Amino acid sequence: MIQLRNLERTYKTGAGVTYVLRRINLDIRDGEFITVMGPSGSGKSTLMSILGMLDDSWAGEYNFLEHEVHKLDRKNRAELNRKYIGFVFQSYHLLDNLTVYENLDVPLSYRNISRGQRASMVAEILDRFQIVGKKDLYPSQLSGGQQQLVGVARAVVGNPKLILADEPTGNLHSSQAKEIMDRFKKLNDAGTTIVQVTHSEVNAAYGHRTIQLFDGWITSDPANPQAKIPAVVTP
Amino acid sequence: METLIQDVRYALRMLRKSPGFTFIAVAALALGIASTTAIFSVVDTVLLHPLSYPDATRILSVRESDRGTGDRSSSSPANYIDWQGENHVFSYMAASRGSPVNLTGGDRPERVRGVMTSTDFFPLFGVPAMLGRTLLPDDNQPGSDHVVVLGGGLWKRRFGSDRTLVGRNITLNGEPYTVVGVMPASFNPDDYGELWLPSAWGVPAHPLLPNQDPRSARDRHYLDAWARLKPGVTLQQAREEMTAIAARLEKQYPDSNKDAGVSLIGMQDWQVGDIRPTLLLLLVAVAFVLLIGCANVANLLLARATGRTREVSIRAALGASRLRVIRQLLTESILLALIGGVVGVLLAAWCVPALLAMSPPDIRDFTTIGVNRDVLGFSIMVSVLSGILFGLAPALHASRGNLNEYLKEGERGSTGGHGKTRSVLVVAEVGLSLILLAGSGLLIKSFVRLMEVNPGFDTSRLLVFNVGLPTSSTPAQQDDFYHQVVERLQALPGVQSAGAVSRVPLSGGNSDRGFELPGSSKKYNADIRISTPLYFQTMGIPLLKGRNLSEQDAHSSVLVAVINEELAREVFPGQDPIGKYIVKFETFDGPIQIVGVVGNVRHEDLETAPRPEIYLPFGQAHWPSAYMVVRSKTSDPLALTTAAQNAVASVNKDIPLANLRSMQDMLARSVLRRKFAMLLLSIFAGLAMLLAAIGLYGVMSYAVSQRTHEIGIRMALGAQKEDVLKLVVGQGMRLAGLGVILGLVASVALTRLMSTLLFGVSARDPITFGIVAALLVAVALLANYIPARRATKVDPIVALRYE
Repeated sequence: MIQLRNLERTYKTGAGVTYVLRRINLDIRDGEFITVMGPSGSGKSTLMSILGMLDDSWAGEYNFLEHEVHKLDRKNRAELNRKYIGFVFQSYHLLDNLTVYENLDVPLSYRNISRGQRASMVAEILDRFQIVGKKDLYPSQLSGGQQQLVGVARAVVGNPKLILADEPTGNLHSSQAKEIMDRFKKLNDAGTTIVQVTHSEVNAAYGHRTIQLFDGWITSDPANPQAKIPAVVTP
Repeated sequence: METLIQDVRYALRMLRKSPGFTFIAVAALALGIASTTAIFSVVDTVLLHPLSYPDATRILSVRESDRGTGDRSSSSPANYIDWQGENHVFSYMAASRGSPVNLTGGDRPERVRGVMTSTDFFPLFGVPAMLGRTLLPDDNQPGSDHVVVLGGGLWKRRFGSDRTLVGRNITLNGEPYTVVGVMPASFNPDDYGELWLPSAWGVPAHPLLPNQDPRSARDRHYLDAWARLKPGVTLQQAREEMTAIAARLEKQYPDSNKDAGVSLIGMQDWQVGDIRPTLLLLLVAVAFVLLIGCANVANLLLARATGRTREVSIRAALGASRLRVIRQLLTESILLALIGGVVGVLLAAWCVPALLAMSPPDIRDFTTIGVNRDVLGFSIMVSVLSGILFGLAPALHASRGNLNEYLKEGERGSTGGHGKTRSVLVVAEVGLSLILLAGSGLLIKSFVRLMEVNPGFDTSRLLVFNVGLPTSSTPAQQDDFYHQVVERLQALPGVQSAGAVSRVPLSGGNSDRGFELPGSSKKYNADIRISTPLYFQTMGIPLLKGRNLSEQDAHSSVLVAVINEELAREVFPGQDPIGKYIVKFETFDGPIQIVGVVGNVRHEDLETAPRPEIYLPFGQAHWPSAYMVVRSKTSDPLALTTAAQNAVASVNKDIPLANLRSMQDMLARSVLRRKFAMLLLSIFAGLAMLLAAIGLYGVMSYAVSQRTHEIGIRMALGAQKEDVLKLVVGQGMRLAGLGVILGLVASVALTRLMSTLLFGVSARDPITFGIVAALLVAVALLANYIPARRATKVDPIVALRYE
């Protein structure tokens, strides 16, 4: 599903150029559940942004399904995001002034879907996540776990092929975290590819494969035994 | 006091610290205060300032009125004398009439605006002469009436302020008059006179019958009458008594006084009656502009209050009471308003001369208009009130809440409540500016409609001026003079044709006379014109039926007249008036045959419908002065000025040319008041729209900065640029739309109040309302588009990282 070849991401700073991701080579197959781990500043979130087509300023090759993302313009990348990808954020990022129902409708409203069809899709997801009773509540009226459940529901409402979850349980206590992770497991079992960033070994265990990042390099990837930091780094 | 100084010092430091904010706030306020100050300076002088006569509020203009139609007219001498004799409510009554005279004896002759007065004219106004004396009862006697009082303006202009002039003779209408006094330049009770003459009968004589005792004339209405209320008598009491006197006179003289009442109007109201609605409209308009300016500054302050909650909560923690915090914040806003006020007043002082330059004469004649002490006081008051108005809401907002909440929320602060207040302010701004736009739209449409009105003659390439022989000359001499002048003008190279008429359209003034049809006692009324044959051709007034007046008519014993279409329609409906007769018209008892019908002209102004008119030929009828109309072959009729002066001088070197103008200029003057109101209201509406757009822009920019995080999430969830654009523009346009709707509703109610200022357009004209609403929506779209574009540039990664 995803192939990254020599992907690099840099930031211009006052002192020069700072590398955030370096020579990333990564393959993710359809239906995989991948965990990305690494210390703060290792480039995890940046990698997620690039995978999710939110970040354009990178070099290298990125193939997504049959699309050569590195050859696409911003508009077409956004189209891929809308069509195939769902996001789950650590701090939920629900829209405060919208109800649960409306929050779930937001991503659908950006796709070319009729109002009636959207209503049935939202109803189906409310039902599937068992939050029908909460559809008229505002995020501030929900607990953290419930908010993240809505966050996950919102990510999957458009039936994405890939879910990107950036520390989805980072703000939750263990029982709530388990509920969310079980939900991911179910989705993955149903065929959805999942890439999660986490610091938790427990959560990592839900995945098929764990990739380690350090200082922008992939230092460990079971599918790529050669992955490690080169001895001499020349920018 | 010490804390106040501390507050002021701190406020000054805060304003210095954010120069961008201070500049925008001061600019918005200065524009509002400058507009308000400039218009108030006019209103103060014209409407509020008492006239410069002792106890001026007790001076009244007295006019005859028709109880049926409510029309007011000049008074007849006999009625005036009866009013004067029978009333117990006035300490003085006086009468006057315009009596233009030829002043000769200097380098060039000049036609001067003289006024013939009755005995008590000067005591009534109570203004002493600046030099010499005013007119005394003894001057109003046959044989001793060749004395004159000069106005200060004429004395300065024509006689170089010569203080030895009193006691010396000057030549008026070819006769010597002794100057007995000079009045201050500000003495101008009838907006006309440059010099004042007595009347040999105590009451001014009729202009066409200068040598006839006027005192028994009850059906000739030509006097302006004045009265001064006795101390302790109210206007209402005076009205009641004068109504009773009028009823007695009606019973006694049913022929001449049928339905004749008396109308009493305060002199100030009489002088400013017509301009009052325009000035009040403009005053409301500038108040709106000021309110919009205040709303803008309140919005800026609210945005700033968000950033200052931490400061305020720390002050509260250190022991400042809520009142103390509010006082400090209000000090800042009032200081801001006062700075805006100073800039505004300077701006106004600079604008007032420009304002006066484009104002109609009834405003321009008030030479004292300017930023005086009263106006300054008004501006300071307006500034302080504005400061409180726009400062109070932000101060209350900022002073509310508790320390913990603010400190916890840190830099982001809470925005919900402010957002709502800001939205309300913007909706109000848009609504107010729509009202102004609707008003200005209606005035513009009225003006366009007015300029589309056909005056009934061709206004291009026409030169117009007035000449008159002394009243002592005989009618034959007068007619001969006019004919000779017309002939000389006609012979000038560059002249296509020339004619003469007793009263030319748009020159101000009119004269109407009654008439009857043979064998009927029914009375009709028509305006009288006396003209030369070529007058119609020169003016381009079409002959519709019959024939024109001819040179032969002047010397024929058969009296003839040409009537206008309006008279034909009114008096001879469905009949051919040619060959029919009218009787008892002007000084003629016998029949006058109608020989032709000409097109209607708009005589008073473009908006007054044509009235019935009867044209008699010079030679058969007479007039003490005549307007010469000259059609030039070239586009600039004023190029003929010198040639015309020479032509008149070649007939009589002592006859001056008065009121020399092009007809285009006369037309422009006749619409000046409308143009003035239209231009000013449009300027204020434009200003209001600009300020409202800036307000909307400010609110939307702030909203975008507050919604960056949300926009980031939406983009991460698949929102495209267009979606974000729609989101932000939609929010702004909802505010603008609400403002437009409320503004339209208010406009429907308010524009009705200006219906007297409209012409040819309804106060609820849907097209005008539609256009101004569309214009405002377009401007609002633009004001929204800029912050919306900025919103589309939000980087979702940055926005989402901002926790």
